[in-house]
Amino acid sequence: MKFLAVIRQVPDGESRLKIEGGRVDLSGATLILDQMDEWAVEEVIRLQEKHGGESVVVALGPERAEEALRTALAMGIDRAVHLVAEGYLDPITQAEALAEVIRAEAPTLVFTGGQQADWDSQALGPALAEALGWPVVSWTTQIELESETQAKALHDLDEGAERVRVALPAVFTSQQGLNEPRYPTLPGIMKAKRKELKKLPLSAASKAEVLEQTIQERTRLNKLIDGKDPVSAAHELVRLLHEEAKVI
Amino acid sequence: MILVVLEHDGQRLRKSALEAIGRARQLEALGPLAGVVIGENTQAVAQEASQYLPTVYVAEVGGYTAEKWAEAAYAAVQKSGAQVVIASGGRQGRTWTARLAYRMKAGLLEDTLETRAEGNHIVATRYSFLNRVTERQRAALPVVLTAKPNTTPPAEPQGSGGVEVLNVALPTGVEVLERLSEQKKGVSLTEATIVVTGGRGLGSPEAFAKVEELASVLGAAVGATRAVVDAGWRPYSEQVGQTGKTVQPNAYIALAVSGAVQHQAGMNKSKYIVAVNKDAEAPIFKIADYGIVGDVHQVLPALIEAAKKLKD
Repeated sequence: MKFLAVIRQVPDGESRLKIEGGRVDLSGATLILDQMDEWAVEEVIRLQEKHGGESVVVALGPERAEEALRTALAMGIDRAVHLVAEGYLDPITQAEALAEVIRAEAPTLVFTGGQQADWDSQALGPALAEALGWPVVSWTTQIELESETQAKALHDLDEGAERVRVALPAVFTSQQGLNEPRYPTLPGIMKAKRKELKKLPLSAASKAEVLEQTIQERTRLNKLIDGKDPVSAAHELVRLLHEEAKVI
Repeated sequence: MILVVLEHDGQRLRKSALEAIGRARQLEALGPLAGVVIGENTQAVAQEASQYLPTVYVAEVGGYTAEKWAEAAYAAVQKSGAQVVIASGGRQGRTWTARLAYRMKAGLLEDTLETRAEGNHIVATRYSFLNRVTERQRAALPVVLTAKPNTTPPAEPQGSGGVEVLNVALPTGVEVLERLSEQKKGVSLTEATIVVTGGRGLGSPEAFAKVEELASVLGAAVGATRAVVDAGWRPYSEQVGQTGKTVQPNAYIALAVSGAVQHQAGMNKSKYIVAVNKDAEAPIFKIADYGIVGDVHQVLPALIEAAKKLKD
């Protein structure tokens, strides 16, 4: 069996973002393996630990994404493939390029993050599934392999969740609660440096372009009431919400 | 042709469907409108939909899977020749629309706040970087777009249309074994105009009952922070934040919520933010419009009483 994770490198949520020439400038930001992709990597490693076989991590992104691939290798993934492309590519175009690599790898299943922490896209997993002609299970919180061609999974819906049986190969996207990712160990980090990382240049035209990015922080009223007298504070707050904000 | 995929509960169109129709009408320069109702118990819903749209397709495909929805929507696209597809941007909507966009080789504009036609392009505004950045994206037709809930006024009925049944070959691959519904009678979190969220500072699941009580008095949806969900007090489906739901209500009332960046990613675009926290330095107060610095155990019961009095 072969388990494959698709990952991206994104700015840490705590990093300060700045805008330069109408674009987000990441030069000062701490870049990390996307937290939701980290769950995907962890799950792929656990599946390999349980069922044997091979684990592979694939990224589509700029040169710097290699750091995130190394993190996944340090966590325990066997080898990496890096489709190198700078700049914004829409998820449909990404899926098309990734599908080619994944088809050749012929994994038992693919795991990727539920949402990207930079482009806020949730589309890559399902678009990839469509490109491969496979089913997709998004927002997965549990997965259990029943055989090489069948898995059971629990995943979130708009409201509530459901248990499904899925024909493999399939694409799964991660959700919080799936697992608690391991930290790379020092020996793991050393080993990762020697693991195979294959680079493939990619040139593709995006179907959507980003025209401009801005940071619009709403000016907040900051009207704070002292809660020493809870009853009068509560009345004042309800009055403000009713009469001033007119929201209740 | 613009095709609107209409969310429903088997009886009526959801508010998000009326918002999607509203969004489609804003793009009318790109062609006439049609709708499609997908799922189970679609007939009555399709009748309702025909009061809003000149053509309504209906595909009775049973319970949800992304594969079935993409297949049915694609059948409606082929039948109508639509170059633009509009759907609501929930988790499910953003899953199957990605499949559909790939199949149509379309540009995908996700979770859009506003959209306008520009020649044979659509320009959309959306958030990125965990809701911290606002960006404009442009894609040439064909385009599949999802509309963020609560960003468009719901459409009013207009004219009357015909209903046409689509036959869809059902894809297999995913078999639903069990639905773990938290489909309570309450207000849907992503569609709610008021959200009342409780944080770990409440101290216990019992104390959280008061959050529900305030929500019920205000007709609001209940939200929870990740810490509360991790502690098992509330289900994941109520989680607001980076890995939970993103909400943008008129009023977001955060009770004993400190306001970590990951939580803010799910609510920082709310029209008014209201916070109750005993720590005046809590990050939530930096983005609050109104707040009470005080003990939630004392303030919350008083808020319930004050809200009840207002509603009487």
